[in-house]
Amino acid sequence: MTSIARPAPRRLASFAVPSVPGNERVALTQVAETVAGLGLSPARLDKLKTAVAEATMNAIEHGNDSRPELPVRVEVFQSGAEIIVTIADRGGRSDDGTPENSAEVPDLDRKLDGEQGPRGWGLFLIRHMVDAMAITTQGERHTVRLMMRIGSQDAGGGED
Amino acid sequence: MAEPTTTMHVRQVGDRAAVIDIKGDVTAASEPVLMSAYEQADRQGARRLVLNFRGLEYMNSGGIGMLVTFLIRANRQRQELAAFGLSDHYREIFELTRLDEAITIYDDERSALSDVAS
Repeated sequence: MTSIARPAPRRLASFAVPSVPGNERVALTQVAETVAGLGLSPARLDKLKTAVAEATMNAIEHGNDSRPELPVRVEVFQSGAEIIVTIADRGGRSDDGTPENSAEVPDLDRKLDGEQGPRGWGLFLIRHMVDAMAITTQGERHTVRLMMRIGSQDAGGGED
Repeated sequence: MAEPTTTMHVRQVGDRAAVIDIKGDVTAASEPVLMSAYEQADRQGARRLVLNFRGLEYMNSGGIGMLVTFLIRANRQRQELAAFGLSDHYREIFELTRLDEAITIYDDERSALSDVAS
């Protein structure tokens, strides 16, 4: 069997924000500045920014329960033609009730009928904004990994 | 962290419509401002509520949830909702969430108000 060697991911940025609602704006701005010039079209950069903001907001509110002393850690990598953003919190409990653990897909009709609450769009948006996403939990550490391909025309909305 | 800022200004157009000019962020934190704007437009008797997103800087999933709440209130009062001024990115989000099926999207204010009799 022949294996194709992939370049090791190159870390472009690593930073943390306190778990304060609204700090997702800080994360999306820093990620956007980091990936500027890497070849993402403006439309796809907007999608990545939305995905980063939503994942960071989930990490702040659900993972770290909006406790400012708990950081949300954000790292940006480039691996060949892929931009990878990881967003990690300490919400790696198995029964934490985060949206990631919910199988319910938001449905506008059901929301308008009162069968679903009006919120709960975050994970849905992330999935549709990036080419792939994956969620991993190691002990307390809960990480969302977002991937966008440079040069692609549109996000595929898949999961690893 | 900068505090999110949202302002919403209500303009009555004729007897039956109101335009809500949104400036800044649309997030869950904007709900009191949007609901206050809704109540003002409702008191003025508007049957069509037109959201002007030209001044929108940032909208997140909490803001989408808030628009769903807004839509529920408008539906109960049998009011029509319309919008204009959305960027391509947010227009796509309206399509993904199917909000565009419940809130008619126009290219500009004139189109959004074209068939409202004064």
